[in-house]
Amino acid sequence: MSTLPLQPFLILALILFCMGLFGALTKRNTIIVLVCIELMLNAVNLNLVAFSKYGAQPDITGQVFSLFSITIAAAEVAVGMAILIAWYRNKNSVNIDEVDELKD
Amino acid sequence: MGTLSLLVFSPAIGILALLMTRNSDNNQRTHVLALLSSFIPLLLSIFVFALFQGGNQLEERVSWITFQVAERTLTLDYELAVDGFSVLLIILTTVVSLLAILSARWMVNKDLNLFFIFMLFLEIGTLGVFSAHNLILFFVFFEITLIPMFFLIGKWGGTDREEAAFRYIIYNGLGSMLLLLAIAVIFINVGNTNFSVVADFFSGGEQKRFQAGMAIALLLAFGVKLPIFPLHSWMVKVHVHAPPALVMIHAGVLLKIGAYGLIKFGVFFFPEGFEILAPVIAILGLINLLYGAFLAFRQTELRAVLAYSSISHMGLILLGVAALNEAGIQGAIFQAVSHGLISALFFLLVGILLVRTQTTHLKRLSGLARLTPLLAGYFLVAALAGLGLPGMSGFVSEFTVFLGIFKTMPVIGAIGTLGLIMTVVYFLRAILNMTFGSYRNTFGNLKDLRTEEVISATILLLCIIGIGIFPNSVALTIQQTLETILVGIGG
Amino acid sequence: MIEFVWLIPTLPLLTFILLTILRDKVNQTGSYMAICLTGMAFILSVLVFIQLIDAGTAVQEWEWITIGSIQISFGTLLNPLNGLMLILVAFISLLIHIYSLGYMERDQRMTTFFAYLSLFTAAMLGLVISPNLLQFYVFWELVGLGSFLLIGFYYYKNSAKNAAQKAFIMTRVGDMGLLIGLILLFWQTGSLQFEAIFSAITGGDVEGSMLTLIAILIFIGAIGKSGQFPLHTWLPDAMEGPTPVSALIHAATMVAAGVYLVAVMYPLYMASTTALMVVTVVGGFTAIYAASIGLVQNDIKQVLAYSTISQLGFMMLAMGTLGYTAGVFHLFTHAFFKALLFLAAGVVIHAIHTQNIKQMGGLHQRLKLTSITFAIGALAISGFPLFSGFFSKEEILSAVWADGQYGLWLVALVAAFLTSLYMFRLYFLVFHGESKQRLDQIGLVPKTMKIPMSILAVFSIFSGFFNTSWFGSYLGDWLIGDNQMLTNTHHGSSIGVMLIASIISIGGIILAYMIYVKKSFDQTSLQSSFSGTYKLLANKFFMDEFYHTSFVKGAKGVGKIFVYVERYGVGFLLAFIREMLTTLSKSGSKTQTGQTQTYAAVAFLGMVLFTAIYILKGGY
Repeated sequence: MSTLPLQPFLILALILFCMGLFGALTKRNTIIVLVCIELMLNAVNLNLVAFSKYGAQPDITGQVFSLFSITIAAAEVAVGMAILIAWYRNKNSVNIDEVDELKD
Repeated sequence: MGTLSLLVFSPAIGILALLMTRNSDNNQRTHVLALLSSFIPLLLSIFVFALFQGGNQLEERVSWITFQVAERTLTLDYELAVDGFSVLLIILTTVVSLLAILSARWMVNKDLNLFFIFMLFLEIGTLGVFSAHNLILFFVFFEITLIPMFFLIGKWGGTDREEAAFRYIIYNGLGSMLLLLAIAVIFINVGNTNFSVVADFFSGGEQKRFQAGMAIALLLAFGVKLPIFPLHSWMVKVHVHAPPALVMIHAGVLLKIGAYGLIKFGVFFFPEGFEILAPVIAILGLINLLYGAFLAFRQTELRAVLAYSSISHMGLILLGVAALNEAGIQGAIFQAVSHGLISALFFLLVGILLVRTQTTHLKRLSGLARLTPLLAGYFLVAALAGLGLPGMSGFVSEFTVFLGIFKTMPVIGAIGTLGLIMTVVYFLRAILNMTFGSYRNTFGNLKDLRTEEVISATILLLCIIGIGIFPNSVALTIQQTLETILVGIGG
Repeated sequence: MIEFVWLIPTLPLLTFILLTILRDKVNQTGSYMAICLTGMAFILSVLVFIQLIDAGTAVQEWEWITIGSIQISFGTLLNPLNGLMLILVAFISLLIHIYSLGYMERDQRMTTFFAYLSLFTAAMLGLVISPNLLQFYVFWELVGLGSFLLIGFYYYKNSAKNAAQKAFIMTRVGDMGLLIGLILLFWQTGSLQFEAIFSAITGGDVEGSMLTLIAILIFIGAIGKSGQFPLHTWLPDAMEGPTPVSALIHAATMVAAGVYLVAVMYPLYMASTTALMVVTVVGGFTAIYAASIGLVQNDIKQVLAYSTISQLGFMMLAMGTLGYTAGVFHLFTHAFFKALLFLAAGVVIHAIHTQNIKQMGGLHQRLKLTSITFAIGALAISGFPLFSGFFSKEEILSAVWADGQYGLWLVALVAAFLTSLYMFRLYFLVFHGESKQRLDQIGLVPKTMKIPMSILAVFSIFSGFFNTSWFGSYLGDWLIGDNQMLTNTHHGSSIGVMLIASIISIGGIILAYMIYVKKSFDQTSLQSSFSGTYKLLANKFFMDEFYHTSFVKGAKGVGKIFVYVERYGVGFLLAFIREMLTTLSKSGSKTQTGQTQTYAAVAFLGMVLFTAIYILKGGY
């Protein structure tokens, strides 16, 4: 089995994470923000899997952990979308700048 | 679960029972339920007291958090233990709580169920404060007392209840902040917050400046609770506007946390620091004593008179602490217990009076002795106890405090006796104005005390007289605590 | 028997507790019970006294409080002085209890009255058998409580309220002196036991100026309790209480406690000449000061009250001039005749329901026994030859003379003259002359009131013979015994002093007779020719007004200043804290924009910052 180095995985994850972060911080459409958060999560998952295979102490735990993370991400998206839909029904908008009701 | 944990969390049974009957409108049943459940901690506290008198060391320890920072192990454990001083305050807490719950039935007119739940919650906090043997745990319980107090004042208080509740929470919050900072500093230095470990750590007593700094911090932190002039304005507000049944506990027990902390942490941990600070504390005590007395003399509202009299009496505790000798410290401890009983009795009577007349304004009350001789008699006896009549607990504490302060600072003691004279003046002025003189028929047919009220007042009175006639019952209990503290002072 | 001495104060205390609990259930029975128990206490004290004659002293002690390494105990002490006081107090209390049965007959709160009276008796009996200064102080305050409760017995009267309050506060001022004195004494001698204190003092363990300070502080306590100048103004007001109370507390027993205190602490005073001088001067001044006021008062009880103050001044004067025996002797005789005078006055008030002597007169016809006993009391207090007061007063005068205080000796003579003058002015105005009231309405005086008066009258005549230069000074020998700490200064009374004292006394009586019966001098012209003096005396030298403007107003002023401090000083602090918190939270809330993305960006930047620090530092 040819040994791929660890770096490409980490670089890919870094790029993914940065994209996700940029999107999550700048986009005004809440759905895009949610998608970007998913991107960040996936970057983390990629890291977990990569380390579990090529890390200093390879272990199956990393892969199991990533499965957990995917599941939780799915649940989170479900909740997030539900809130978003409720919000859209009320305000007829998905603009994240307008979601500041908790301020006062 | 050890006996102490059982004691501390025993009011939870009552809370659960009350929560289950939350929807019932039957006030009678709620009252009986609360009463029964406050008997449990009372019995347990008597049991603890008996165990303690039997020479048992009641200590509990459960490992909680341990972490390593740069080769140092920091440990936070759940630790409970009692000594003579705290066991007395525990008994005081359970007795006063029971009596407050007993008499609250007629003083509280809305949501009795929730009122009792908060009262029991408060009891957990108070019992925890007195049985904690660890600073962090002490702090946690200390904060727990703040929350139910806030709601109890804010919801069931008198006309200005919200203002009173906010003043309470702000002042005490600031005090807590200082306390937390002090505890954090201790924790960083010692690596543990167990009382005994901390006391051992600082017993070398080399770092005078550090000790003095800690002493100032603790003085300020507990000074809010005690309260020390000029940090007292919250306390007057609470006394006047909180429901009397609550003030029984507040003035009777919660204010004593200040004295407890000052003696047990302050003098015990940082004797050198307190030695440096002693003149300042003595002067603060003197100010409290005289300022409270003269203001009590000018008030026209009975509850304000009592509030300022509490400030004045707390001055005696400060004087005792400042004396830094066996008589002074013992006097301060005596004063804490004695003032707890006396102010509980006073606010019990205030509550009883309020139910009947809707007012405690001195100008509107006169000649109560005619229709309610028992109530008037109890008021007079309470005033006599408050002004330190021999044969009652107040005298023993006043005498021992002055015995102590005259040894170290005779001039301050001599000025302090002026406060004792003023105490007579303001108490007699207030009480005689109410009970003596001709009766103005503004309240119709006043009813004298009912049996339950007589029982509550008599229990408190018997405690007061008991300590006054047999002070050794208390003195011997705190003997060991006193010796431990005195070793640090070197006296 | 002597080991049961603690039972003596316990019996009346038991009465108090029982009567307080059973307040409404017992009426007449309650008072009989009180009398029985007081009677038992009296019998017990007689038995104890008989045993004491052989034993000399007896001490019992129990541990009371432990303060670290300090132990303070309670107990009982019997010595000649205590034994004498014990029997005296128990005896007079018993008589007054019996008298009250008649006097308070129609009062609804009779049980309460007897309860208070028993409380007082218990405290007073406890006071006289105290073995240490702290216990003394405890009972000292408790007799004050008894006095306070009884002065304020008619609680619905505003005057009674004020009088009770005043009595408590003014004696408290004195008590603080005593308290400071006893604490200082404790730290100087290491004990509160009388025995230990005295041996420390005679051993010279206490520095001279400290000793003087302590002695004077303790004397301030005595001033307060015994109504000496300047803390005397509460005593005349205390006459608001029922008359038996005035007789028991404010004449015979409690007010004499101050003199008793000086007697108990006598070794202390012997060690300090300055303190003795203070006692002398205060006593002498009070004697003449109060006597002069008594001359113009129109309230029968007020006159008697001022006469009490004046007589107490005499006792203090004796104490200060080393006349230990003389002082205690006068205390002993005064207890009988002053109680008698008050009881007789009580009968008069009971009969005609007024206290103003201008509205009395000619009562001799209806109240024969009362008139006779009052006359006996008046003769005794004036020092008429062969009556009890004659011997004790003569002894005081000799003591003052022997001490070389000739100025004060003259003062005492004038005071004695004034005493017989005002006493007989009172007697003649009340019992002789024309009656101003309808006398036929006066009912019979109950036996319960007559018997105590007769007994007291007998004692007023004969109690002087306990200590005379003719038959022997039994009392003096008994009191001094073989006690080295007290010097036996029985002054061989010269015939000269006796003669002068008799002349003074009889002169006063004759002058009173001339003015008030014969009307040889016109009263109104006397008043107008000395109008300034009269005004001064009638207003009691304006002492009350002085206290009102100085201390009462002063305390109110200080209170007012503190109110302003509270309002502005502490209020400012409160406002400051509040403002600080609101500003802080307002500026804090501005950062809460509600923009999720801003929050996230800040969180991310924070993480970057921490990571950077971590990398730069290379680990923790």
